[in-house]
Amino acid sequence: MSYFFQIVVSGIVVGSIYALAALGLVLVYKSSRVANFAHGQIIAAGAFITFFLTVRLGVPIFFSFLASMLITFFLAMSVERIFLRRLIGEPIISVIMVTIGLASIFDGLIYLTPFGSENFSFPDFLPTESIVVGGVSISWTQLVGVIITFVLIGAFSWFFKKSTVGISMRAVSDDQFGAMSVGISVPRVFGLAWATAGLSAAAAGCIIGNITGLNFETLHAFGIVVFPVVILGGLDSILGAVVAGIIMGLIQQFASGYLDGNFGLNGTGDVMPYIILLVILLFKPHGLFGIHEIERV
Amino acid sequence: MKSKTALIFNVLLVIVFLFAFTLPAFAGKTYKLGMSLAITGPTSDAGNPYSKGAEDWFKFVNETDYLGDGDKIDCPIRDDQYKNDTTKRFFEEFLDDEILIFLSYATGANLALKRDFEEVKIPVIPASYHEGLIVDANYTFMPVATYSENAVGLAEYVVGKHQGEDTPKVAFFIHPSAFGRGPLEDTQKAIAEGLKIDIVEVVEHGTDLDNTAMLQRLVSKGVQYVICHTVQTPVATMLTDAQRLGVSAGSFGEKGKLTFLGAHYTGGSDLIALAGTATEGYIWADSYNLTSENNEKAKKQLELAERYGRDDKAANSHNYGAGILAAQIATEAIKETKAAGLKITRGNIYKTMQTLNFESFAAAGPVTYSPTERIGVDVMNIYVAQDGVFKKLQSFESQYIQKVRAGR
Repeated sequence: MSYFFQIVVSGIVVGSIYALAALGLVLVYKSSRVANFAHGQIIAAGAFITFFLTVRLGVPIFFSFLASMLITFFLAMSVERIFLRRLIGEPIISVIMVTIGLASIFDGLIYLTPFGSENFSFPDFLPTESIVVGGVSISWTQLVGVIITFVLIGAFSWFFKKSTVGISMRAVSDDQFGAMSVGISVPRVFGLAWATAGLSAAAAGCIIGNITGLNFETLHAFGIVVFPVVILGGLDSILGAVVAGIIMGLIQQFASGYLDGNFGLNGTGDVMPYIILLVILLFKPHGLFGIHEIERV
Repeated sequence: MKSKTALIFNVLLVIVFLFAFTLPAFAGKTYKLGMSLAITGPTSDAGNPYSKGAEDWFKFVNETDYLGDGDKIDCPIRDDQYKNDTTKRFFEEFLDDEILIFLSYATGANLALKRDFEEVKIPVIPASYHEGLIVDANYTFMPVATYSENAVGLAEYVVGKHQGEDTPKVAFFIHPSAFGRGPLEDTQKAIAEGLKIDIVEVVEHGTDLDNTAMLQRLVSKGVQYVICHTVQTPVATMLTDAQRLGVSAGSFGEKGKLTFLGAHYTGGSDLIALAGTATEGYIWADSYNLTSENNEKAKKQLELAERYGRDDKAANSHNYGAGILAAQIATEAIKETKAAGLKITRGNIYKTMQTLNFESFAAAGPVTYSPTERIGVDVMNIYVAQDGVFKKLQSFESQYIQKVRAGR
């Protein structure tokens, strides 16, 4: 039975990290209806900034973590200001193509540094022993990762529901012209959406980097790996990202735990989430928590 | 008088000019090679130090007149970012430049260009040690033991060290590609030839954040050994998870636990950089001499790195050594062809390479090719991760791989 619970715990851990990594995509999509293909590069940048501050400059890792979130906050805001703001009102596909271009530019910039082609790992800052309860183990890295994920997701949920800026962002997401007509600055909202996405990406990068080690290719791949999570959750729903992330994590772990290696099956942990995604989308094409917009003509 | 002085001056000037223009002729010949690899992009953690190793060796050759008579090697190094189509384009450009030897990189690109190499009859030195590159191919000269040799050799090592009368239960943890599957297929052939291991499961990994389910499943199936053939990152995640779950063997073959072993690209200082203490006890098969061995060979590698201002990370990377070895093979081929009094052409270099035999400070053993043998360094070192570095346990040559090859 402990095997079953171990898989549940692992699924929740993996799923919540997926949710955090997906959050940035949701935030940008929620406000601007744009899928940001440079998200993985921002995830990697966040992890490398934390590593640089901690290892090269000797800043305590907790402060490095906060500083990297702050830096990516402003980095993403600058990206929006310089490259994307002038595209407001242009076809969405143009904006998406720009994000693909941005991904290439970020790749190039990171390849100019040692981080582009070398492997690193964060120094041990958490106990290396696992926490074992009833035969179910979880490492401190994973536990702290999950806690940070839920704290951030809780904070973002509060921000969107209660704060004026958050409500403005939701208003822009619902109806840009309507929002403008009541005095909300749409460009400012876009900037903030990108900035908060950058902040969450840095957090995700640090957590993933602490688990997998710091390898640029691995880190930026998560910007794409979490796309199914975002689609399943409903593209613009934070709650959807969390639920979908955990569903994906659980499916992956259960498939790996119970199907792989049995019945001649292999690699189901990678395939099953996509199969389930397709099945769910057949019945709920807008995802689990996506908004089904009805236009009356 | 004035006109006579002017005349002498002009004649001298003409002579000086003529001499200046003929200088390159006296300076020796330049031999063109071409290298394409992933300095950036996927696998650049290996490709980047590899390129530095090759670059430094060629610089050394040119600066020290290693080839004699002022002859030099010109080897442009291009970054193909691990894209096969880009490699092909670079290869074609290199052919236009009439290069003598092509130094290539990835498994996929080499497989894609395999027919081209045969067609244009160009010697190739790859950074991929995929066995398939030398099957039905004459012009590919593998620098060191193949991945298949690594995997089969590790399986033989397991058989040799396994305690108990039972057949060792092994799982394979491989990259989901031809690169990953090749050595597994050859190990299965070795089993058919009589190698006594039981492959309980084959895991083709994805982008996993947690390997708990897989590791516990392997333990529950009685697996004791996991042979890895992939790149370092997924191995690092798996080792970290195994450490957390307490399923890593404390000693080789510990019952109820997992002993991890891996081929060339799974190990090295990069694995330690990624997985830290979780790497302890990891067994690694590789044909390169590591600087952590602190022997004369290692000193030479470090001297070369220091000479060209490389940082510690590059200097101590086995991929830096791999780049040096590839460049050394090309260099020795030219040098030997010259020494034999032959004209330096692709054809003559190909002839020379078939009997090339030399010692390299970067490799674990001598480089020896023959008309029927396309693997330079046959010997592998079995290393174990201990106290943050890989230490040599023994040298090893796979016996079963010969049977597998004979059966083709």
